[in-house]
Amino acid sequence: MSAAGPRAPHPGATHKPRANGPLRTLVAMAVVFLAFAAVAGQLIRLALDGQVTMSSTMSQTVGQSFARPDIVDRQGRLLATDVEAYSLFADPAHVIDRDEVVEKLGAVFPDLDRAKLRDDLRDRKRRFVWVRRGLSPKTAQRVHNLGLPGLDFRRELRRAYPGGALAGHVLGYVNIDNKGVSGIERYLDESIGVESVQAATLADRAPVRLSLDIGVQHAVEAELADAVRLYQAKGAAGVVLDVRSGEVLASASYPQVDPAHPTMSLDPVRADKLAGSTFELGSVFKAFTVAMALDGGYVTTGTLIDASEPLKAGRFTIKDLHAVGRPMSVADVFIHSSNIGAAKLGLLAGPEHMRSFLKRMQLLGELKTEAGTIAPPQVPQKWGDVETMTVAYGHGLAVAPLQFAAAAGALVNGGYEVRPTYVKRAADAGNAKVQLIDAATSAMVRDFMRRNVTDPAGTGKRADVPGYSVGGKTGTAEIPGPGGYREKAVISSFLASFPMDRPEYVVLVLLFEPKPTAASSHKVLAGLNAAPTTGRIIERIGPLLGVTSADAGALPDGTPFDVTSSTK
Amino acid sequence: MRMLNLGAMVLALASAFLLYAINYDTRQLAERVKAQERAIDTAHSDIAVLKAERAHLGRPDRIEPIARSLGLRPATEGQLVATPQEAMERVQGSKTSAAAGE
Repeated sequence: MSAAGPRAPHPGATHKPRANGPLRTLVAMAVVFLAFAAVAGQLIRLALDGQVTMSSTMSQTVGQSFARPDIVDRQGRLLATDVEAYSLFADPAHVIDRDEVVEKLGAVFPDLDRAKLRDDLRDRKRRFVWVRRGLSPKTAQRVHNLGLPGLDFRRELRRAYPGGALAGHVLGYVNIDNKGVSGIERYLDESIGVESVQAATLADRAPVRLSLDIGVQHAVEAELADAVRLYQAKGAAGVVLDVRSGEVLASASYPQVDPAHPTMSLDPVRADKLAGSTFELGSVFKAFTVAMALDGGYVTTGTLIDASEPLKAGRFTIKDLHAVGRPMSVADVFIHSSNIGAAKLGLLAGPEHMRSFLKRMQLLGELKTEAGTIAPPQVPQKWGDVETMTVAYGHGLAVAPLQFAAAAGALVNGGYEVRPTYVKRAADAGNAKVQLIDAATSAMVRDFMRRNVTDPAGTGKRADVPGYSVGGKTGTAEIPGPGGYREKAVISSFLASFPMDRPEYVVLVLLFEPKPTAASSHKVLAGLNAAPTTGRIIERIGPLLGVTSADAGALPDGTPFDVTSSTK
Repeated sequence: MRMLNLGAMVLALASAFLLYAINYDTRQLAERVKAQERAIDTAHSDIAVLKAERAHLGRPDRIEPIARSLGLRPATEGQLVATPQEAMERVQGSKTSAAAGE
């Protein structure tokens, strides 16, 4: 358009030089041109300005919340997402009848704090009072239908967990402003990034893909809930860990917490038993004692250990539940779960070596996952012969079950370090290959674990699942209480791995204070409650994980194998 | 000269009207863009809600009782084979084991 302006003066300037003088014409043309330029300028200004004023009237500046990326499981199924919700606020300056507002809102929200709202509304200088946040569209409509002046809505983002309590402990929770407070939600804030938003604007970040598998997670949670009912336990916990990549496929602690109700996780009964607490796990620990003795070269599979006599350890005596009364091989110590044998193996290695071995296995240090730091292990203050003997059969050293499972992964996977993670790892970005124990030692431990399940005298025979070649170790640990260990209160545990000829997964199941019910033949032995629970879990998750029958192509005992050459 | 002035004036008026028309159109287009953006936002929000609802309806603790009431059971090891050939062999080899794995 502006091109029309400059062109206009030119014909005038050339055609009429004589009549009124060139200067006069030029001035007239310049004035006309400037006038048009002003008109054009004004039009352009209006065209641009108009939009600016329009958008500025639409923005709201009260309050702030966070738009978070979705959380999905390893197959992309939704675990947490943002949805729009309505939040109700009041403008006291526009409220006409305070009592009417309080009365009518009280009818919609029975748990409304009426006195507080009345106080808030009394102060007319305040222009903004939250009444209730995160309303469903239905409730918002009911409030809207009351037709009260001075009330209005803001649309905000709310975190929704479609799976309910599924994987609640791992996910953590967010606060009222949609900011992550614990668990993976906090990891999103700290490492992935969330967007601060003024209104209900959904985040356009890619979803965060966890290593969890909803199917496996549910199977573990359902079986744990069944076990708690069957054995009348006070709680339970279970973890499924990929020993090749360190990915946690399922991590369940019962009773569950619902991420939508953050106050639930304050209840000590619902505390995270896998990563948030430490326990003396008892006999499952013997897997490490045996591995230590074999790896350090203190014994061979043929070495006989005399476990016939009870062993004096300081002011107490170590006894065996089922005394064999004859010298036993290292395998027998493992399979018969001999406390005396384990203590003697511990003494063979000595306190120094045991400590450095457990440290190397990542059992004495601090371990972190995306969901936060795992509760640090409680290591004996002074580590003498007595402690060496008790730690050898799993007492005196309390460790978080998740940390224990990760260390156990290294026992069976050929001896490589397993770093547990809740976030899906790329297929090639597996373990940094840190060799913790000899591959041959790992093969021997695998053999013992498998025999513990196949042997008729083995404590783990109820964990066997045809086709999956399960191996494992039981543990029944008395819980320390005031003035010594409590006789009848135990933590019953089972450490399993499958398929045993080429381990892919470690499963650790814990039952807290189970009772001697009919389902466990009126006893509280891990072999009768935790082992069958683990068996049922493996039976359910095996097909979900695509583990095919392991009977074919089994490696001969003692053959080391390379974990990376796995074809799956 | 008069004709020229007249022509210039007409041109000026015409261009002014044209500018107004274009300005008006621009505003209308901007309005439409805004409306479309709002529609996109609403659609995004609806999609988020629908995704959440679908995930909620498909949550395992709801599906499991329904599936069990239909007579379905968790898959077993017997239903898995590594290759299609193996599956055929298993079906032809023993009908009974295939039936047991059903």
